Amino acid sequence: MLTKSLKRALLDSRWPMPPTFLLPWAAGLTTVSHSTAASNLPPPLVSGVSNISRQREALQQDQRAPPRASSGPLASLPELPAANATSSPPALSQSVRELLPVLQAQGPHYIVAHLYDRPYLLTQGDTLRLPFHMKDVEPGDILRLDRASIIGSRDYTLKAATAPPALNQSTGKVSYVDDRLFVCRAVVMGVESDPLHVEEKTKRRQRKVKRVKSKHRHTILRIKEVRVRGLEEVE
Amino acid sequence: MNSFLKHTLPAFAANNPSIEVSISPRPGRHPVIKGLYINGREKAICVRNMEPSEILKKAELLKVASGEKLRRERKPVKSWNESVRGVWSPYHGHHHSV
Repeated sequence: MLTKSLKRALLDSRWPMPPTFLLPWAAGLTTVSHSTAASNLPPPLVSGVSNISRQREALQQDQRAPPRASSGPLASLPELPAANATSSPPALSQSVRELLPVLQAQGPHYIVAHLYDRPYLLTQGDTLRLPFHMKDVEPGDILRLDRASIIGSRDYTLKAATAPPALNQSTGKVSYVDDRLFVCRAVVMGVESDPLHVEEKTKRRQRKVKRVKSKHRHTILRIKEVRVRGLEEVE
Repeated sequence: MNSFLKHTLPAFAANNPSIEVSISPRPGRHPVIKGLYINGREKAICVRNMEPSEILKKAELLKVASGEKLRRERKPVKSWNESVRGVWSPYHGHHHSV
């Protein structure tokens, strides 16, 4: 049974088609575009209220003593500074200022980069096979990955500081490191596809078997650069 | 296929100078596009009854592919580097002593 508003929208000559929110099959869709590509910068956070915490970086020294030392005291974790609202661009925290040069000096580095929020632990020279086909990209194009949650070397790790989650609550949200602190570049190598996969769908005591074909394509990237920037470059 | 060879193929070859394009007749057989890859493998696609745009799509597919056999990779990252943080050892940690 068509509602009055839907009927009026269909008969109205102003719109060739009723607006999206009135169509019963498209009620959940919105016209707001969400950019999720890795190369896009995140939208600016709404920081009107003063006690909203912004992303701050905290460098934490690993609690594991290096194997070469015979027996040394374990390095203590420096206190995380309390996160307060800061003006953009966010200032680097004290621990970042102290330890970023040390992190930079200790190669090799690894980075946990996020593409569409999926983490991939990468080092230089790795081959990354994405679970999707990236459109409008040719082999030889260079991509800059700017979303990362962790950058580390053997003894030092750079993470983004977040407020601890409420008790019994795992939001699954990831916070990202400031993208001024690192450079991660990848080259597109090409597109691979899976072998043809046939999914058979049927029910018991039912002779009809529906066969669904799928052949997914994957963009292949090769990581050509993972680098931590120095303090002079950042500021 | 003929119109592809006359009109579409020269542009494709010009856009991809690193690809060597050679044409040979196959009388009495279906037309085939063959891609020869650096790893020595070969991929052949039969293009009978295809429009030039479809043949171009197949050519692009061969262009972006590596010559590897199609296989389903369960892990996305392939790395030949050693682990950055080192292999775990029970003697170097603070949680329990051995």
